[in-house]
Amino acid sequence: MATEPIMRVESLSVVLDSAAGSRPILSDVSFDVAPRSVLGIIGESGSGKTVLSNALINWIHKPLRLTSGRVLYQGRDLLALPEQAMANLRGREIAYIGANPTIALDPTIPVGHQIVEKLKEVEPGISEADARKRVVDTLDAVRIPSAVRRFDEYPFQFSGGMMQRAMIVDALVSNPKLLIADNITQPLDVTVAAQIIRLLRDLQSAFETSIVFISSSLGVVTDTADDVIVINAGRIVERQPAARITAAPEHAYTRDLIAKVPRLWAEAETPEPSPGSDIVLEVRDVERTYVVRDRARLFGENQVRAVRGVSFDVRRGESFGLIGESGCGKSTLSRLLSSIEQPDKGSIKVEGRDIAGLKGTPLLAMRRRFQLLLQDPYNAIPAHASIGRTIEEPLRIHGLARGAALKQRVRDVMTEVGLSPDLYDNLPVGLSAGQRQRINIARALILEPSLMILDETLSALDQVEQARLLALFEALQKRHGITYLYISHDLAMVRRVCARIGVMYLGRIVELADNHTIFETPAHPYTRTLLSSVLTVEPKPFLPETYLMEGEPPDPIHIPDGCTFRTRCPFASARCATEEPHLVATAEGNGAACHLEPGHLPPPSLPPAPAGRAAACLET
Amino acid sequence: MTDIPLSARPRSRSVAHRILAGAWATTEMKVAFFIFAALAVLTVVAPFVIDASATKITVADRFLPPIFMEGGRYPYLLGTDQLGRDLLLRSLIGLRNAFAIGIVSVVIMFVIGCAIGIYSGYRGGWVDVVLMRITDVQMSIPVVILAITILGMSRPNAFTVIAVLVLASWPAYARVARSVTLAERQKEYVRAAKILGASDLRIMALHIAPSILPSIAFVAVLDIARMMIFEAIFGFIGIGIQPPTPTFGTIISAGTQYLLNAWWITIVPGFLLALALTSLNLMGGVLERSRNLVLQGQL
Amino acid sequence: MAFAIEFFIRRLSQGLLIVLLVAFVIFTLLRIAPGDPIRIILGPMATATAMEETARELGLRDPIPVQFGRFIVQVASGDFGHSFIRGKQGGASGGSQDGAPDLSQRASVMDLILTALPYTLILASLGLIFAFLIAIPIGLAAGLNAGRWQQKLGLYISSFFVSLPNIWVGVVLIYLLSAKSGLLPAIGYRGIAYAIIPAIVMAIEMSPILIRAIAVSIAANVQEGYFNVGQVRGIPRSKMIYRHVVRNAAVPLLNVFSAQMIGMLLGGLFVVEYIFSFPGIGLLTINAVFQRDFPIIQAVAILASAVLVLINILVDFASTTIDRRLKF
Repeated sequence: MATEPIMRVESLSVVLDSAAGSRPILSDVSFDVAPRSVLGIIGESGSGKTVLSNALINWIHKPLRLTSGRVLYQGRDLLALPEQAMANLRGREIAYIGANPTIALDPTIPVGHQIVEKLKEVEPGISEADARKRVVDTLDAVRIPSAVRRFDEYPFQFSGGMMQRAMIVDALVSNPKLLIADNITQPLDVTVAAQIIRLLRDLQSAFETSIVFISSSLGVVTDTADDVIVINAGRIVERQPAARITAAPEHAYTRDLIAKVPRLWAEAETPEPSPGSDIVLEVRDVERTYVVRDRARLFGENQVRAVRGVSFDVRRGESFGLIGESGCGKSTLSRLLSSIEQPDKGSIKVEGRDIAGLKGTPLLAMRRRFQLLLQDPYNAIPAHASIGRTIEEPLRIHGLARGAALKQRVRDVMTEVGLSPDLYDNLPVGLSAGQRQRINIARALILEPSLMILDETLSALDQVEQARLLALFEALQKRHGITYLYISHDLAMVRRVCARIGVMYLGRIVELADNHTIFETPAHPYTRTLLSSVLTVEPKPFLPETYLMEGEPPDPIHIPDGCTFRTRCPFASARCATEEPHLVATAEGNGAACHLEPGHLPPPSLPPAPAGRAAACLET
Repeated sequence: MTDIPLSARPRSRSVAHRILAGAWATTEMKVAFFIFAALAVLTVVAPFVIDASATKITVADRFLPPIFMEGGRYPYLLGTDQLGRDLLLRSLIGLRNAFAIGIVSVVIMFVIGCAIGIYSGYRGGWVDVVLMRITDVQMSIPVVILAITILGMSRPNAFTVIAVLVLASWPAYARVARSVTLAERQKEYVRAAKILGASDLRIMALHIAPSILPSIAFVAVLDIARMMIFEAIFGFIGIGIQPPTPTFGTIISAGTQYLLNAWWITIVPGFLLALALTSLNLMGGVLERSRNLVLQGQL
Repeated sequence: MAFAIEFFIRRLSQGLLIVLLVAFVIFTLLRIAPGDPIRIILGPMATATAMEETARELGLRDPIPVQFGRFIVQVASGDFGHSFIRGKQGGASGGSQDGAPDLSQRASVMDLILTALPYTLILASLGLIFAFLIAIPIGLAAGLNAGRWQQKLGLYISSFFVSLPNIWVGVVLIYLLSAKSGLLPAIGYRGIAYAIIPAIVMAIEMSPILIRAIAVSIAANVQEGYFNVGQVRGIPRSKMIYRHVVRNAAVPLLNVFSAQMIGMLLGGLFVVEYIFSFPGIGLLTINAVFQRDFPIIQAVAILASAVLVLINILVDFASTTIDRRLKF
């Protein structure tokens, strides 16, 4: 490259000091950031990439310690700069955006006002009116709808995606030369993350800012960056242009990383629908509405319509998947299905018996038939009870066994889920997430349920552990004929294990079909939007250019008339605004709630070459 | 903003054990504990060792100053009061009585307050509204007004003093237990227990209580000292345990009349009480800080 | 705006209910407690018939709900009745005095309270000022320097102050500052200088809670994400502290203030006024208890709880204004 790099990192090393001694976090890291380019840094959690991003702005605090290296910015070593001089650069010339936008701003002051405060701080002398105008203009530029009104709203009124946009405004409003984006899409839903990435690319060319883009998702990085650095255990193992890294990885670690990224289409092995007709779970027209207070009106109340008429069947021995983004109503539905809450309307039949409205002893008896496994393996298990005691609890509650028989059953079930019975009297402290989740499974399994609801059960686990538990679930299914209902946002996992899938949007199932139909020829535009947003390393049949519009799902208080998806649907017509479509199932049990005839959606396309935008850049 | 790997933190011992160990590692915990232990031993041993009486009136030995001052003499280490009774023994008995009242009242208010608070927070709905409005009412009556009204109008003794302290202070425990329960019942393990079919009572007693009570118990240590001060105030106003039983309030109150000539009658017992309470409060404070560090994962 | 109106409608109506309940509890408590006020009004020599007659005249023989209803109607018009014992000219009548009691000569409770109130207000505000002067610097230093010596200092000072019984501190200060050195006057009230020692006693009692509350809430906010992120965004640490940390810390502080401080202030006033013979509401009430002067006790209890409830409402409103996430 002919031009001088905007930032040059030279043999940077950082250690973590603890009572046990110092442990290296970054070792001898060196790289350049070219002007007006996006440098992607990819690493798994624990690889030291966040520490690296903090070191770039000289923000290393105890117990972390810099041991060697320089971070040169315009010829000056940032690590050697006096604190005051460094503070003058931060936020002004070098901006930083972190992974968690919801905690980034003072919760008690409107978002716009805080950005103005920062702008006035880094540009002393700017007038209040000018600062305000610049912030509103930039809010517009990141496509925040009705920016003038949003300017005066508080952080808690922003969704995660909107808040991340606001943080991008905050970073770019002072026209920085370098932007460090640390895992900024990590907490966001797929469609929102895809929007943010598209936005960042557009802004990068408009603002001529260099970006260091750090992420743990390979798909995100290759979609965004010009060059990619792969970092493992604090060391750089490979540097390549983004287009080449997936096509021709050089280092074994990189190859391993690419192999671990789940494929949805390339090597899809999918389960077949169960042939049996015995229905284990029958959900009919279930509704749940919450009432919340409205501050803007006198004695005002709002109705949050979380679940609005959901119906589906799950057949014995099959794995059924429910997918959707945050706010689609899947958590509420999971509470209704596990009978922690009662639906306002509708019926939930488990093995033919309606559990909606069931109470007391009859409900207790039914609870043995269906069990729910929760997402968080750390909080789902009491910290103060021994592992054996925790697994005993359901037997004690239902009075199923006592004494030696009870202990024996607990030991048996521990063995079955892959926990050593020696752990019986241990406290769960120090166990890994995977082992904790096995305790959870054992506790549910000991009741011998016929239906298990898995509510994001595997999302807290890493790929390897996830694969192990999926294998365990499969084995249990074969041995005990258990039926599974997966509730998840993880499309790749659902693709692998679920025979039939329901797609939820705003409290309804908008499409219900078998695995093949959902992923290959979905009939609902939202399903396609969802699939187009998946960041993966393989060719996709659905592209964001065709299906992903701006905007976020409406909140469940103000549900639009007609079709609820029309506000984000590229194919919406006048009919969609007035008439709400209903899900009509075909003979195979597939169906979508959409007015469009199946042939009116564009045919699935495979892109010409396995390349992101970076490849196109190189050609021009 | 830094991701320190989980494995860097030791996670082997129970929470309570780590809190105690963390507190014991500090100098102030050890100092406070030894002062408190020494005073406790003294209250038991002193009456057998010191050849003086806390209650017997000896006119000849009136107004004797502490032994380190001119005119002081053995066995009256800290001097005598206006009736010639030994101040050290009177103070130690007062301390014992006050501590007994403090412990008993705090245990009772802890049990009542936490039981009501957990129930209220867990059940929610109208039960919660009614119970919390009752605590509102209770807390809107200043403690001292309640005490002087009840004790001032009845014949005060140890039981009525404890009753008043409990009556006045249980709502604070109910409030804390309720707010912690509100947060706790949202947690996954409570949801998990519900899904398994555990009854509400079982969840409250076997799941929520063991998780939240230890942290409230640490705060209760500080309340023992507070109750001992209330006991002293009641005695001072004349609505506490009645003479001749020595209490700090009555000793200090009687001494004020002789403040100019025999200051030690008031100052010395109060100093002993302040010493005991400071050590108690310091232990409570260190425990609480240690608990925060443990919960933040720093210990 | 709609929010503010709804807030006050809801909370004031709830508050009124609470004060009524408190009034009923105190009212009932006083009437079932042992100790016959008629005996005190008329003195030990009064005959049984005279006592019965006076009791009936005062309405003390009606059922308690009837008495309470009559009392509330009275209170609604701002009249808390007349003292059983105190005469209009100030001195206590009845008891040791002979002659028939003339109820019209008794002092109005409202007048007694209004006379004593200014003294109590002086003492309370002076005590609060002293407490804040002690607590703000120590608490801020402790909160901003978690894990360092400032935090330990805060812990030591608050542990020490909270261990000092106010009765003892009062007597010690009287001895040291007044009796021994003559620096300040102490007993009674003849000018603002008389309020200084009592105010110090109150400040020592209240400051530990303030120190802890300030230290804890400041330290918690310094740990919040926005504090770090703000500095990375380019806002200096000092500005993050006084614009954001202090603002956010104010919410839990306000809570401590309404939940603990005001109750403690009221309680402290009673004891301190009693120790120093300070002629405020507290002394008035304690004397009233010993004299079984029901009308004064119930009036003070009701007014005190009304003040507590009102301050609670105002503080909650301030909190929801600062932090819009809070519900009520």
